[in-house]
Amino acid sequence: MRRSILATAVAATFLLATGCGASGSDSSSGGSSGGGTLHVYAWAGEIPDSVVKGFEQETGIKVTLDTFDSNETMTAKLSTGASGYDVVEPSQYSVQQLIGQQLIEPLDHSRIQGLDNLAEKFRNPSYDPGLKYSVPWIWGTTGLAYTDACVKEPVTSWKILFDQKYKGKVYMLDNMLASYIAALQVTGSRATTTDEAQIARATDALLAQKPVLAGYNSTNYAQLLSTGQACATQAWSGTSMAKAVQSDSNVHYVLPEEGGSIWTDGLAIAKGAKNVDAAYAFINYLLRPEVAAKATDDGASASANEKAREHIKNTDALKNAAVYAPDESIAKADFLLDPGPAIRHFQQGWTKVRAS
Amino acid sequence: MTSTAVPGTTGAPGVRRLALSAAMLAPAGVVTLALVVAPLVLVIRNSFARTDAYGNVQGGFTLDNYGRLADPVFLKVLGYSLGVAAATTVACLVLGYVVSYYVASRPPQRQLGLLLLIIVPFWTDFLVRTFAWINLLSPGGPVNSVTDAIGLTSGPAGWIPSQGASFIGLVYAFLPTAIFPIYASLRGIDPSLSEAARDLGCGWWRVHGKVLLPIARPGLLAAFLLVFVPTLGVFVIPVLLGGGKDQLVGNLIVTLYTEFRDQPMGAAVSVLLLVLLLACLAAAGVVTRRLRRKA
Repeated sequence: MRRSILATAVAATFLLATGCGASGSDSSSGGSSGGGTLHVYAWAGEIPDSVVKGFEQETGIKVTLDTFDSNETMTAKLSTGASGYDVVEPSQYSVQQLIGQQLIEPLDHSRIQGLDNLAEKFRNPSYDPGLKYSVPWIWGTTGLAYTDACVKEPVTSWKILFDQKYKGKVYMLDNMLASYIAALQVTGSRATTTDEAQIARATDALLAQKPVLAGYNSTNYAQLLSTGQACATQAWSGTSMAKAVQSDSNVHYVLPEEGGSIWTDGLAIAKGAKNVDAAYAFINYLLRPEVAAKATDDGASASANEKAREHIKNTDALKNAAVYAPDESIAKADFLLDPGPAIRHFQQGWTKVRAS
Repeated sequence: MTSTAVPGTTGAPGVRRLALSAAMLAPAGVVTLALVVAPLVLVIRNSFARTDAYGNVQGGFTLDNYGRLADPVFLKVLGYSLGVAAATTVACLVLGYVVSYYVASRPPQRQLGLLLLIIVPFWTDFLVRTFAWINLLSPGGPVNSVTDAIGLTSGPAGWIPSQGASFIGLVYAFLPTAIFPIYASLRGIDPSLSEAARDLGCGWWRVHGKVLLPIARPGLLAAFLLVFVPTLGVFVIPVLLGGGKDQLVGNLIVTLYTEFRDQPMGAAVSVLLLVLLLACLAAAGVVTRRLRRKA
């Protein structure tokens, strides 16, 4: 009896230990491709079902869509070498990293139609000049959300998240790079910096900010705002934030005057893709304005496709800053790039902040 | 496995039985090897590995990852996690004992119903139940209404995020794991023992302290391990209920593995945690053995 209880406990220990290991290297479910099947690996919720179904009906190619919720998870899977994916959807800094690791193929532009449908700002981006490797699909911003129910002054700056007045009522995103966007910009640096001293200054700002914060949250921050538990939060534009802005007239989403940041998730062809023809067909299909419009209508994301605007039925979304941030507000936004070896400074700083 | 064995048989039938046992054990053995041993070996291996500039594990052998563990930052997270796990365990053991004693002292036909009441909520997804606590403890929520009614608060008050809320969430999550082993050992105790103790002049405290607790100790020990060990690996509750400001070692490992793409470091922290837990188990083993010798 005693022994068996202890044995159960031992088993539980091992489960715990292996559970930790598994989170980093969850097994691939890609499987074999070829013939009429296209394996797509994309951000959760960013390629609507309607798009996938439309493509399948038109081409007869079967699509299996797997999703991830961080670039790092996706990269980890691709770097095992046998992921089985044809098309992947990395964010801009992740495109740089995937190029560096040779995990995505250069695109053959002669096989792509419709690149000129893309908005001007995405046609020659700094992370992938000439779009040699990726085709932007959707974009969004990292900014600031607040509610009038609690904040009685105009909100224009990251400083509100560092303000003692709102102690215990403000949240930061639970994400290293996002937190450093605010901290770097509020201390007068660009979010794209790789300078050790500037990063150290931002780390100090984050350390000083911590007592003011109610917490770090990248899960239900929009809900915290609309229920009045938070006065202001750092926020990503898109699904949950867009809904909160639309359903509650007190909730607003803005890009801070310091800049905030803009990101984009694009389509790329994985190294060793088995169904390259279908991959190009998929990219071309998604470049069509009427298809790209579905990213907004069915997915609440902003489309990188300028011509899609006239096809979007949900015109409220076009006016919703938490979906389409107004052009003038993103003029100063930084395009977050791969920090390269400087990532160590961020990681050391962030570990210190989180453990303090 | 071989309980049907006829004493004294040897030779071919014995070999066949052995082969049969092996065949019957094989599926479990394969599953254990593939799902428990292999990942564990990989984690241990990676904790000594180097990475390239992009965080890909490159093999090689280095003790750097363990060297970096000496950073006070990591020790602080580990110390805090151990503290939280210890507090959660103590609370679960005390509450678990009280509940188990109550259940075990009911008539047998009522016990099943009571146990069912404890289990049923756990058929709902863990995350959903955590979100339920968010609603319960939010301003204007049910808990707030009660505190308003009895005059503890006036107007909207919330308890999220706070360490207290995180603590409540943890105790709630692990209480049943504590109740069951304690109940199992209390149920086996002859009620006449506590009657006798009472007849001989023991008060409530001494009946429990001198008679019941020592007999139930194996159950308490099992409950201790079953609560303490998984609490160290928790990372969702502290984020949702505690605001995520105080990092637990579970959060740290997740961050190292995913956001930082630093598998070797994440693996090193996991291995350190595993060693600590094994030490715990070994200590528990020594205690049980000593208890058994006494008994």
